[in-house]
Amino acid sequence: MNQTDGERKGLSRRTFLKAGLTGGLLVAVGGRWLPLSQALAQAQAEYALIIDLNKCVGCRACELACQQRNGLPEGKSFIHILPKGEGEDRWFLPVQCQHCRDAPCEHVCPTRATYHHESGVVLINDKTCVGCKYCAVACPYNARTFNEETGIVDKCWLCLDWVLGGGQPACVQACVLGARTFGRRDDPEIAALLQRAKPLHPEFGTEPGVLHYIFPGD
Amino acid sequence: MTEHYWGWLVAIYLFLGGMGAGSFLVAAIVELTGERYKHKYCPTTLVGAGVSGPLILIGTVLLIFDLGAGLREPWRILFMFTHFSSVMTWGIWILTIFLPICFLYALIEIMHVHPGLLAWLRKRLRFLPETLPYRRIKRVVCSIGCVFAIGTAVYTGVLLSVVRAIPFWHTPILPILFLVSAVSTGMGLTIDLSATLAVPTVQRRFKYLPVIHIAFIGLEAILLGALLLTSMSQGGEAAESAWWILTGPGSLLFWVIIGGFGLLYPLMVHSYALARHSHGYISGILSGAGIVIAGLFVRFLIVAAAVPVAV
Repeated sequence: MNQTDGERKGLSRRTFLKAGLTGGLLVAVGGRWLPLSQALAQAQAEYALIIDLNKCVGCRACELACQQRNGLPEGKSFIHILPKGEGEDRWFLPVQCQHCRDAPCEHVCPTRATYHHESGVVLINDKTCVGCKYCAVACPYNARTFNEETGIVDKCWLCLDWVLGGGQPACVQACVLGARTFGRRDDPEIAALLQRAKPLHPEFGTEPGVLHYIFPGD
Repeated sequence: MTEHYWGWLVAIYLFLGGMGAGSFLVAAIVELTGERYKHKYCPTTLVGAGVSGPLILIGTVLLIFDLGAGLREPWRILFMFTHFSSVMTWGIWILTIFLPICFLYALIEIMHVHPGLLAWLRKRLRFLPETLPYRRIKRVVCSIGCVFAIGTAVYTGVLLSVVRAIPFWHTPILPILFLVSAVSTGMGLTIDLSATLAVPTVQRRFKYLPVIHIAFIGLEAILLGALLLTSMSQGGEAAESAWWILTGPGSLLFWVIIGGFGLLYPLMVHSYALARHSHGYISGILSGAGIVIAGLFVRFLIVAAAVPVAV
């Protein structure tokens, strides 16, 4: 019936249908957006990966888990275990991308392929990397490797797909001795550990963002 | 040495970029000071203008082969123009502007020396005039080109010196050394080698030339020495790099090829030339060759000797 049947009060059918469709659309879209906004909120959280070096025995489970997760060839991983000290004072230092706040790799990359994600994680855009390896040269932690097959530079990306879904990086899951703890910075357990943890080689001036270490004896 | 991401390809590029820029600079200065017009035939400007473009172009092409994904998908190289905080982006911009200038200079210089070229071109491009104001064109091209030539030589050094992770490279001495070396290799190529080969009787063509040569060779030696001494006094990884060059695997290259053949011998040749107002044919060629080869190996050693900070 037309709007011109002016005597009737209340909503016309057309208006009701318009309102209904619009409202329905909003609910549908909003509903889809709700989990995404949750994910975004989570993404904006800063993460911390704390490695307790008093517990690390150098078993390399994290190294191998990373290798498997990323389909890397034999002998290659985004994590390196560095043996330190001698004899009784032997200890092990697992090194991977520190996701630095002032990352030299990001500064030197000519294509902006290396960039900071909202979560604070440093990622590499595999569509724009040209494989010039300037970032690999510039990284003081030697955290990057050049992949001959793909022709791009790769490194620890914190298994961000799992993390954003509420999970944990492969290396954290793999550590049987519980030397690795991962979570949001505002998590009380993480915050407590961060009191004791320190960044690795702060004198490099890169401000490691995600990785923190509890050094032997601390 | 730990895993090296940059090898001999990068060293060759640094060398060709430097020598190309240096050749342009030498030719441009000879042109702009009017020295070129005091002689009937000036191989320096012809060679300098002619080779600078091809040298840099070859270096750049070699560098593209050093890329990974950028080689298979060349359009990715366009992204390299975007990140202005990266020295590599500065470099690609400088080269993009400088290369056409080099080829333009080459064209104008060749046309000036061989007017038949313009006549030949006129047959195909009728809008070209009968003659061109060569000196005026070159004044503009050379002046602008000099800025970019210096930029090219300096940026290759800055590319390395901003890397804090390699203490041996992280010094302002490096860009200055690369600039001096670029000019020196440019002179070696366009004056020593070209003039000796092109001019039958080698006379002292330019009164102050041996002095300038000696000055640049001496300056390069001083800067190299400063680089090594400051690295040694710094200790740590920088000192490791310095010792690798001075007493380690790099020592033969350093003392014999660079020190002896590349610095001391040319110094002797030009000191003789200063005193006796000429130098021989063989010594001219060897001196030029020594300077050029030393330029290559200086860059090679600096790249190869890199020791990253210990984690």
